[in-house]
Amino acid sequence: MLKFIITLVLGFLFGAVLIASEAFSWYRIQEMFYFESFHMYGLLFSAIETSAIFVFIFKRKEVKSIYGEKVTVTEKQTGWKRSVLGGLIFGVGWAISGACTAPIYVLVGFKWEIGLLLFAGALLGTYLYSLVASKIEKK
Amino acid sequence: MNPVLPWYIAGPMIGLIVPALLILRQKQFGMSSSFNFLLGQLLPKNDSFKSARTTSNWQFHFGLGIIAAALVSINFISPEDLIIPDLALHGDYLLEPVYRTENALIFLFSGILLGFGARYANGCTAGNCIMGVSQFSVSSIIATVAFFVAGAITAQFINPFIF
Repeated sequence: MLKFIITLVLGFLFGAVLIASEAFSWYRIQEMFYFESFHMYGLLFSAIETSAIFVFIFKRKEVKSIYGEKVTVTEKQTGWKRSVLGGLIFGVGWAISGACTAPIYVLVGFKWEIGLLLFAGALLGTYLYSLVASKIEKK
Repeated sequence: MNPVLPWYIAGPMIGLIVPALLILRQKQFGMSSSFNFLLGQLLPKNDSFKSARTTSNWQFHFGLGIIAAALVSINFISPEDLIIPDLALHGDYLLEPVYRTENALIFLFSGILLGFGARYANGCTAGNCIMGVSQFSVSSIIATVAFFVAGAITAQFINPFIF
């Protein structure tokens, strides 16, 4: 129950920042892909930089979680082919919808008619991938 | 226009989610696996989503927190507030209300691409751009470049025809 509440609160804070900074907005994403404003780039770079400082510390120093175990970070090793092809498909979806995964959750609450459509699409897309996953991942 | 939270405050706050999740939940930031969790609930007999039923439940709970924030935000911000007048030079479609039911099929289709692409690339913006790049993971850096290449081309050359 405590874990559930912690996760819910962190999600709430994350959602609040995405909304207050308009990072969930279709218009902000169009602006970003037209290179019209630094807003989204500054946001992403400073998020990565902040996160990188902590990841750097966790990899070198023993930092314990509140459960007393050492915090460990594992790296994604997806393979360049999947990263490129999957990344291109995701990028097209990102530009059209003006949303990625977390903004889909924002839109479910903010404009449910659109948010639930995106959500249903994402579930369908995830399901469709599972049908071809064995062919893609064995390479 | 609503006052927008500047990037130099919003960005670091988003970055802090990563250590917060690691210390408080021992979880690596990522969002798209929440769809695997839900499919595991909807299709309990499908083995593809079996492991996500236990490993990715937290991501769905995190998503519920995001939805709660959005429900609160409706009182302060409306879709019309999000329009950016300066984008007019790239086309009038950028000034129209986009979250309309006429665009239903476009949003459904783009959702399919997001779900499919996120699994194919082993993560979305959260897992690859933020969590992955901050570890200097080569896969995640490649995925992030691909997100932006496809995104810029689609936004500039395809969106004007479909919206």
